[in-house]
Amino acid sequence: MLPAWPISLVVAWRPFLDPLNLHAWWWMLLVPLSFGIAVTYRATRVATFEGFWLKAVILTVQIVLSMFLLGIASYLFIQVAVPYLMPMPG
Amino acid sequence: MSSVRPEPIEQPAFDPLGGVLAVLFPGAGHWYQGEVQRALIIAGGVLGLFVGGLLIGGIDVVDSRQDRLWFLGEVMVGPVALGVDYYHQHALKGRDPNTGQVRGALPNEIRDPNGVLLPAPPGSLPPMTKSLGKMNEIGTLYCTMAGFLNLIVIIDAAFPSPRRKGKA
Repeated sequence: MLPAWPISLVVAWRPFLDPLNLHAWWWMLLVPLSFGIAVTYRATRVATFEGFWLKAVILTVQIVLSMFLLGIASYLFIQVAVPYLMPMPG
Repeated sequence: MSSVRPEPIEQPAFDPLGGVLAVLFPGAGHWYQGEVQRALIIAGGVLGLFVGGLLIGGIDVVDSRQDRLWFLGEVMVGPVALGVDYYHQHALKGRDPNTGQVRGALPNEIRDPNGVLLPAPPGSLPPMTKSLGKMNEIGTLYCTMAGFLNLIVIIDAAFPSPRRKGKA
């Protein structure tokens, strides 16, 4: 279950001087990061800007899905493959 | 089966002034080359990521002394990153009165006008808060990615790629 938004998120928070109190929601911040990367990278690649934002959104989804799949692969490697290949005694 | 190859758009092979302008400000090189829309989107993307990182992790994520390796990525955003780091080092950090070491203020310290860290009177806040954990990691990642993306932008401005019609 996700935690409720803390009241301390906005109380006494000084933008750019204090970090956001979003530790439980950190994974959500990967989506705007991916969007920023997609927009900037696409802007250097496209010949024309026709359909640019759709292409940027598609690349964003591809980045997020790739990270998700890499996370699953890492989990399976650590939790399943390593104990299978190198079982710990006891 | 025949395939139609898209025609390359004529662009100079090397544009040093475009590259220098791109170093000075994200998107300025493309603006100089007449690609205003591309320049605006690039500036919005790079600076959006950089400012986003500062907003998430606080100014602590740009620190040339404590996080030098990450700063090498962040500094590729250009003079903006250097200015943020200068402000961080000279206006927010202070000198430890005992050791003389320059460091960030602890939660129970303030910075006096001479740059010396002193115990804080009740109710006062330190000049900034050091970010920790995920917020520091994500904020640093935002700012560093902004720098690496701007490196791509600088290369693209200095060596304009033969963009092909109809292919992105």
